[in-house]
Amino acid sequence: MKAIDVTGVHFTYDDGTEALSGVDFHVSEGEFVAILGSNGSGKTTLIGLLVGLLKAKTGQIRIGEREIGSLSAEELYQRVGLVFQNPNDQLFAATVEEDVAFGPRNLNLPEAEVERRVTEALAAVAALPLRCRAIHHLSFGEQKRVSLAGVMAMRPSVLILDEPTAGLDPAGEAQMMQLLKKLNREEGLTVILATHSVDMLPLFANRIYVLDHGRVLQEGPSEEIFCHQEMIVRAKLRLPYVSRLMYEMKRHDGVPIDGLPLTIGEARVQLLELIPKELIIAELEEKKA
Amino acid sequence: MFDLFSDIFTYRDNALTRIDPRAKLLIALAALIAVVTAERIVLPLAVLAFCLGAVAILRIPAKLVACRLAAPLSIVAVLVVIQTFVTGKTPLFAFTFAGWQFTAKAEGLRQGTLLGAHVLGAVSVVFLLSIVTPAHRIFQALRWFRISRNWLEIAILMYRYIFVLMDRVADLAAAQRLRLGYTARGRALRSFTTLAGATIIHSLEQAQRTHDAMRLRGYRGTMPFGPLPPLGRRDRLILVSCLIGIAVAYGLLEWGVSG
Repeated sequence: MKAIDVTGVHFTYDDGTEALSGVDFHVSEGEFVAILGSNGSGKTTLIGLLVGLLKAKTGQIRIGEREIGSLSAEELYQRVGLVFQNPNDQLFAATVEEDVAFGPRNLNLPEAEVERRVTEALAAVAALPLRCRAIHHLSFGEQKRVSLAGVMAMRPSVLILDEPTAGLDPAGEAQMMQLLKKLNREEGLTVILATHSVDMLPLFANRIYVLDHGRVLQEGPSEEIFCHQEMIVRAKLRLPYVSRLMYEMKRHDGVPIDGLPLTIGEARVQLLELIPKELIIAELEEKKA
Repeated sequence: MFDLFSDIFTYRDNALTRIDPRAKLLIALAALIAVVTAERIVLPLAVLAFCLGAVAILRIPAKLVACRLAAPLSIVAVLVVIQTFVTGKTPLFAFTFAGWQFTAKAEGLRQGTLLGAHVLGAVSVVFLLSIVTPAHRIFQALRWFRISRNWLEIAILMYRYIFVLMDRVADLAAAQRLRLGYTARGRALRSFTTLAGATIIHSLEQAQRTHDAMRLRGYRGTMPFGPLPPLGRRDRLILVSCLIGIAVAYGLLEWGVSG
């Protein structure tokens, strides 16, 4: 069943900038989809349309079975949640607990239910110990997780994240992506993330949409997307580093590699296949001796 | 600048931070009323001494105290000087400066000192409250006292974004300084005005983004507040004891001693 169905959407800003032109974008329930594009490609505009912050001039946007315009704000934001790129845009209460409770209280839920949702949302993002902390005392990574909890407390079925790993250190980046994977695989949340960071996507995303100048250049699973080197360059993106290395080895040194590995694991398997087993065994025996 | 807004001490665990914010607000309000209605200097100064004593016991750094009291102290100085030279009849001393004759008067000095004591006493009460109660607890307590939601909402957002804007201003100012933006007086003035303009633009953009984020979580013009539990027995006892203490001090210092 479709979680999000966007057909032929055009959007032009008041200053005449055409941000999206004839975009089709479809996400099924439980999918992990990435919108990949350089700065100014239209990612943020598409997200704005999906959460109703912007209104499309033409085209159709359906959330689940319903046209976005027919949903009330309450209905829409319990179906779709957006985590902003900069947590400071989103964390406006003084403490973590109050901020996460903001959404449930706006839904006029009983205080016991608000309490339960706050606890569950904070536990889901491993932020329970931060509950009573002041927002401005949190680190950037903690702020990111708390802003995710704030959206989770609304219990949306679709979670949209704008550059979720921007500004995080490598450990924080990995933690955030693992967290999203867990929410997607274990909680069944549909995850859509807009990013231009390509290295982690093959590990997590089921499908990728490549956007450039407001148009979808290509859509498909990671292995299909990243085998089109020219298209990736045209979209002002790059291959994951490990794929780039293998691509260069294939191009310059003629190393016989089938396709392009997208992850370190895949690259390792392919490289091991190229090295004769006897050579490895001989090397190991030499070391032992 | 950062010291002025620092709230790290409000999150420490001590006897004063443990008191319910509603009780602390009522005690502070009573102390403020006592200070501003005092007709003698003793009560405001006693309140000032009490508050500074508490601050010292809580080991609040002198730098922070000086930073927070610098503005009111300068107001007090101006008040005393103006009152001394403008109000009253009985001359104390006189001098001439740039062809102008200045005469200090006893009534003016007395009036100025009393006003100054009012300001210092009141500021010290608010200062003590602000270092033993996190701002969000004060807002919660104010909501419990039925203070307008709109006012509180603005106060909460202002409080939250002070820290965000301060970080941004610090970064911008550092970037200007690294490119020699403050090396000459004229250049410094230009840098400062640019900084002020950029801060206003940043705050407008921030307001737009924050409003979008609030809308996405169901905001419809009213910020919800969490409930506060009933005032506990211990807090009620503290509240009543303090109110009685303030009333007794007021009676003794305002009427008792003179009587």
